[in-house]
Order: sequence, then C-alpha cells, then structure tokens
Amino acid sequence: MVKIIVNGREVEADPKKPLIKACHDNGADVPMYCYHPGLEPVGSCRICQVEVKQGDAPARVMVACRTQPAEGMVVDTESPKAHATRKECLEFLLKNHPLDCPICDKAGECDLQDFTYAEGQDAGRTNEPRRELDKRKSLGDTIVLDQERCILCSRCVRFFEEVPKQAQLTVSDLGSRSVIATFMDRPLKGKYQGNIADLCPVGALTLKKFRFQARVWNLVKMASTCGECSRGCSTTVEVLRGADVKRMRPRENEAVNKFWMCDIGRFSFDRHNRSGRLQGAAVREGVQLVPYPVEEALTRLRDELMREKSGAWILSPWLTIEEGERIKALAERLGHAVCFVSPAPNSEKDDLLHTGDPCPNRRGLSELGIPAAPVAQALEALRGVKSAVLIGERIVELLGAGELAKVDATKTRVHLVDEYALDIPCVLSVYGVANCVERTGTWVNIDGVRGPISAVKAPPVGARSPAKLIDELVRLMPKLEKAR
Amino acid sequence: MSQTERYLLTRANIEGAHQLAVAEKNGAYEALRKVLKEGIPYSTVIDEVKKSGLRGRGGAGFSTGMKWTFMPDPAKDPRPRYLAVNADESEPGTCKDRVIMQRDPHGFVEGVLLAAYAIRAQAAYIYVRGEYRLPHDRVKAAIEEARAKNLVGKNILGSDFSCEVYMHRGGGAYICGEETGLMESLEGKRGHPRPKPPFPAMFGLWGQPTTVNNVETVFNVPFIMNRGSAWFASLGTANSKGNFLCGISGHVNKPGVYEFSFGITAKEILEQHAGGMWKGRGLKAWFPGGSSCSLLKGSDIDVVLDHDSLRARGSSLGTAAMIMIDDHTSMARVMEIISRFYDHESCGQCSQCREGTQWLSQIFRRIAHGKGKADDVATLEALAKGMAPGKTICALSDAAAIPTLSAVRLFKDELIECVTRQADPLAVPQPHYAVAGGHH
Repeated sequence: MVKIIVNGREVEADPKKPLIKACHDNGADVPMYCYHPGLEPVGSCRICQVEVKQGDAPARVMVACRTQPAEGMVVDTESPKAHATRKECLEFLLKNHPLDCPICDKAGECDLQDFTYAEGQDAGRTNEPRRELDKRKSLGDTIVLDQERCILCSRCVRFFEEVPKQAQLTVSDLGSRSVIATFMDRPLKGKYQGNIADLCPVGALTLKKFRFQARVWNLVKMASTCGECSRGCSTTVEVLRGADVKRMRPRENEAVNKFWMCDIGRFSFDRHNRSGRLQGAAVREGVQLVPYPVEEALTRLRDELMREKSGAWILSPWLTIEEGERIKALAERLGHAVCFVSPAPNSEKDDLLHTGDPCPNRRGLSELGIPAAPVAQALEALRGVKSAVLIGERIVELLGAGELAKVDATKTRVHLVDEYALDIPCVLSVYGVANCVERTGTWVNIDGVRGPISAVKAPPVGARSPAKLIDELVRLMPKLEKAR
Repeated sequence: MSQTERYLLTRANIEGAHQLAVAEKNGAYEALRKVLKEGIPYSTVIDEVKKSGLRGRGGAGFSTGMKWTFMPDPAKDPRPRYLAVNADESEPGTCKDRVIMQRDPHGFVEGVLLAAYAIRAQAAYIYVRGEYRLPHDRVKAAIEEARAKNLVGKNILGSDFSCEVYMHRGGGAYICGEETGLMESLEGKRGHPRPKPPFPAMFGLWGQPTTVNNVETVFNVPFIMNRGSAWFASLGTANSKGNFLCGISGHVNKPGVYEFSFGITAKEILEQHAGGMWKGRGLKAWFPGGSSCSLLKGSDIDVVLDHDSLRARGSSLGTAAMIMIDDHTSMARVMEIISRFYDHESCGQCSQCREGTQWLSQIFRRIAHGKGKADDVATLEALAKGMAPGKTICALSDAAAIPTLSAVRLFKDELIECVTRQADPLAVPQPHYAVAGGHH
C-alpha cells in the first residue's frame, strides 16, 4: 500500500489497482464509462480525467483508470483543469448520442445522463447529423442493442472476453463508424448475457424482458440474494409500485459473485409475479378445503401435532436459517423427525457462478443439523409417519404434486405451508406462505457466506412467513413444554 | 547549402539492385559481414548509432541508439525479444519507405538484421502497408535470396547470431502505423493502439521486449557501421544528422522522393530540385512533414529543414514529406480532404478522436461547400484544442488537431470568408467522389 493524497486527504491506495479505484474508495466522484471495477481498464473513453501531481513535476491531467497510485501522489479530482478536460470529453461523447432519454429505459440510472446533468453544457454546439444506425438490433433472446445510443466504451466486449472467457462481441468497423456487433451476426449465447445490460453505461444494451416495463425511479429496490442455486449471488430486487418484481440485478459482493449473476437467477422472478397465490389458511372439511381463520387452523394443527408422536417436518431448501432453527426446535420438542428436501443437481453447473445445486440454503440448514433428504427419501419419510408438515416455498414443486397425490390419505395426514394450495385427499390443511421476496431472513451459501433476503413487497393477504407461522403455532402451545 | 554527399539512394538507382547479386556487387551486406566476421559486440553497434546522432525517420525523430538502450538487459530479462519494422507508410504525402523497399530491398534487409543484432532480437517482423504489393514482394524475395546465402536465419554467416525475418502485410488501416496499433495488428487483433505505459521495450509484441523502428531508420544503420559514426555525424546540422529522404508532392513540377542532408532549405528543394511550383503559380501553404504536422505559410519556405528549425517555426519535420499547395487552392477544401482522412482512419477507441475527427470533417465539409455557420471557425479551434495534446491513447487525435489548429491560425480570414459568403471563392468544380465507408 502507498500513501497518496486525494482531494487534500491522505489515504492508502493499492499500487496495483488503478488510481480511479482509490478515488472512488475515498469519496471522490470521478465519472467513468469504459472503466468498470470488474474489468481490465483500457482507458479509451477518457472521461476519468483527474489532476495528478507527482514530485516536482508540474501537475498533469491524466486518466485515472490507467494511472497507478504511487507514493506521494497528489490527486485533485475537482481542479478546474480536470473539470474542463472532462467537460470537453463529455461534449465529444454526446456528439452522436441521440439524447432520447424520454424513451430510454436507462434514463434515471444512466451514467452519461447523470454526468451530463452534473457537469455538461446546457446546450449542444453541434447541429451536424447524428449517426443513424439500428435502434433495435436483436442480439439473441436476451439483449437488444441500440447502436445509436452506444458510446463504444467496450465494456460488453470485454465482459465476454474476461468473465465467461468466451468472446462473443466485438467492435466492428473503424472510427466514427464503429458499432458493437456479434461475430458474423450470430445471436449471443450462454447464460451470462444479462450482465452486459447492467454493464452498459448508457441505454444501448437493454434486456428484452425489461424493455419499456418501468421507469427506474418508480422501482423500489432492496438488497437480496438469488435463490436459484447454492451460490447465492447477492442481488437487488426491484419492484414496481409494490406489485410486480420487474428486475433482479447482481449486487457487488467480492466474496460471492463480484459484479455478476447468471440469467437463470436474473430471470427467476416470474414466479414471484404469478397470480393465484394462497391467502390465509384452509382446512379440509369433508371433501373440500374450506377457508379458515389462520389461528383456528393453527389450533387444530397444534392439537394434532401434540397428540401425534409419529410426525415429520419436511422443509424446503428455500427456508432461511432463522426459520430452520425455529422448526427444528419445535420438531424436537414434539419428538418429530425433520429434514429438508435436497433435489438432485441440475445440469447448469459452470465454472463461473452456477453450482448446479438448486438449494440456496443447503449449507445453512445443514449447519443447523437438519439432514438433507433427496426427493425420494423425503417422500419415503412422509409416507412413514402419521402427520407431516411440508413447509416452505416451492415444496410441492420439489416433491412433485403427482408423487404427493399418491400418498395414502388414510395413513398420512399432510399439512402444507406453501405459496399455492394443493387440493389432494391427504392434505388436511394449507397455509399461505411468503416467498423469498416477501420475507426477510438469511441464507448461507455454499462457501459459508451469509446472504440476506428482503421483503421487497407484501405477501398476499393472510400469507405469512414460515417464521411467523411457527411463532404463532408455538404461542398456542402450553408454556410448560417450552420451559422444559 | 550545397549538397555534400548522397548515399541512401545510390544503390537504389542502379538497375536490378533488388537482386542479391547486383546488390552485393554494390556493397549490400558489407556492414553485416563486417560486424559478424569481426565479432563487433552489439553494445558497440548501439554506441556507434548513438554517436552518429541518427534520429528516427518515422516522424517523431527520437534518437535511435537511445531507443535501443531501452531494451532490458538480456542477462536479467531472458524473455524473447523482437524487432518490429514499421513499413506501414500511410501518412498522406509520405512515400519514401516505398522507394527503399522496392528499389533496395537488400540494403533494407541488412539494416533490419543489424538493428535486430543491436537489440539482440531473435526475430524481426516487417509490417508492410497492405497496398504496397511490389515493395512487399521485393522484400520478401530479398529475404528468401538472403536466406539461401545464410544471411537470414540460423547462425548468420557462421556466427552465433540467428535472426528470422518475417513479412506481414497490413489490411490498409493508417492506425496500424502507430507502433502499438502495429503490434496489436501483428498479433492478429484489431489495430487498436495500446495505452502506454507499459512501453514496447518492456511489453511489446506478445508481451515481450520489442523495439519498433521505421524503414528508413534501420536502412541508415549499415551505412553508419560501414563508414563510422563520425562520417555520419559530419552530415546534417547540430541536432539532425545524416541524410534524409524527402518526398515532395503537391503542386510542384517535379514531385518525387529526393535525398538531402539535413540543413538544406525548403526553398532550395522546391526551386532547384522539384522544379518550382507548377503553372508558374505562387506557394500558398505547405506541410513540411506529412499531413499530421502544422501547415506553414508560403513565406516560411526559407526554413532550414531539420528538427530544430521547423520546431522554431511552429511545425515539425515529421517524415519530411513536403506537400506544396499553390495559391489557387482553397484551404477549406484542403482541410476538408485532410480531416476526412483522419475521420476515416481513427480507430474509434477514444471519445475525443472518434467523435472529434468526424466533427472536424463535417464542419470543414460544410465550410468548403458554402454551408458554413458563423461560429464554425471558433468551434473548429475549440474542438481541436479538446482533442490534443496528449488527451488520447495515441497521437492520431493530435494528428487531426494539429493541422486544423494551424489552418485556423494561418487562414482564419479565408475560412471566415467562405462562411460569410456562403461559398468558397476558390472552389473549383469537383468531380463526384464517393466517400469510403461513408455515413456522411
């Protein structure tokens, strides 16, 4: 580490990292387009100009992303010369930019827009015709390219070269005729395409799934964790006006996913927007499930569970450690068996992020001492007891509704805590549950890193988080048991 | 000043000198033989070249011997090392390297080998401009002839010096004449210049120590080794030694490539060698060293041609490619053509260059076509100042900005007149031309 001075304050900087990182880490707001902390710096957009003074040499304005911090360096990011140089550069960047912000999905979170508002001129100097190019060039199933908005920072090109290490994009042609293109116009492939829409500093690369879906300032954003595999990529979940999840994006986390996530996780939010969710509780009366006040349903459940020693709790691997802990304590108190469903690895495993293991909290639940049970084994356990509680989002999906339908209703009474009702004879009561964008908690990923899940939106009326449901159930039980 | 001595083009002027037998009869490979037979150490070669005062002929005019010393010591840095010879001569006005490669390829190959010897390179790569078919074929044939006589390849002339010489034809991009763009292109990538540092001497071709030299630069080395650095230093002026090839073009009676010693005046070249301006016209303006240097006024023709004198006049020697412009020529039109060139040739990495070269070209085009706007000339100046100096990865942005600034400085009134009259008073009807790759 070396000591440098950034805007009058002495700070420590890593001489192996570009100067712009030291500036950003210490609160200096240096704009950037081609530079991205997750990619190799190329120094081509020339916007990150700062004034640097080294030794006795006169201060020079230079790009911070291609300058290495050196002992005693004095950096001024706000000097008039630095501002002037950045302003000049900005004018060039805007020369061919269409300024179609009112119809651009990126507006509101666009680096070019932000910096133009902060530092640009109030009026352009050019009336020259701007580049007329393809405004909606499809790059495959995921991405649309607007060639006119592109400022040729090449982040997307370098992303494919450096991160999945599979070059798919290139800058084609020269100079002011340059455009981003795929090789031979082939569609993009692989499951990391979505990242280039996040990387794009302007609205040139947009997700087909997010195009014209929402203005970004109407989105409520919260930190969360992806549940599609045991990697548990840190994410931001974005919800439009408390209703639909519109977007899931990776959140920087050096220990887990750095800046990236796969498209499987990124586009996994459709299930959160599905209708027909189970509200409150329902109890089987005769041949049908009848809506019931949750407390009454829980009282009946309590009576059955406290009476029945042959019981099993079968958990979804989407349950958090907080929920797992409560359920395990309760199951032990009742003398019931407990396990979580561990479906077989899928074929999505890769070298970058996806682990192929569809259990986001496998490690968290295992560390609590809850055994993992493959689907067949979990079904076996269920059939072997008289009372079973299946709890957690997607539990029916994991065990298979068809398999559950084969359970002999005369031998096993099943109580289901899931997002959707399942009306089969063995199910005696159902409870609506909040899913992973509707409740808070913690998952532990494959490497032992804890990731939060957040309630970005409200669960359906009457649906509860498993933790709350268990708490209510425990509250209905005699104090005596608890004291022991 | 009278011409003292000529050496560069003596062999080139002999019929058939591109063949080994003729070339050898006229002194080719003598210096190489001398160095290898006498076992002159590489450090002596570098010292001789340093003492001779040879400066790079590719435009920047950096001391060649000094550049060679930037290569790391092979004892401490055992990585392979390369020589890259820049034969991607595409600066408008410059055509000197073509003459060397086409007419005296053996002299050139000898120079390449000596330069490779000095920097201890295992291989030399000659990057030839794609359009230079004949020069390419001649040099390639020369390498094969030389190889058959053990002048190229393993253990040259029985010594322990081995050097392979490879030819590479460019795809026609001006930017590949920039040394780092050239290396990228040689590596098979797009010719996008690399940011410096790291410099080629530490991180060049395939990340190995590399020196990039111009054709004419290495071509001078055998003469220095043959006749000594003192002889070389006796030619030229205080800081510009030796002879140079001057390609004179434009509105002159006898355009061509001539050899002079530094110190000759531009006036002497124009009047006594190039036959004066054509049609008896006057000289309005001229580029002393290719289109990337500042324009000079006709009255500056008395300038002495060397690095210092031209710098004192606010221009530079560049590649000594003089482009003479007569007084019937519209400067708006000259700049339209030149700025269009840079727009076409910018690699497109840096914002200032990619957008700036296009912008300059659009403005000059409007002015030249009588569609100028009141603030155009001021805009040109502001844009050019935003593009240079040193604001981009390589110097192409500067190369577009420098002639623009000089045109605005020297011919402001003429440009403003084009704008105010909404017509170019000096315009001549132009044949329709297609703009290559154009979206203009």
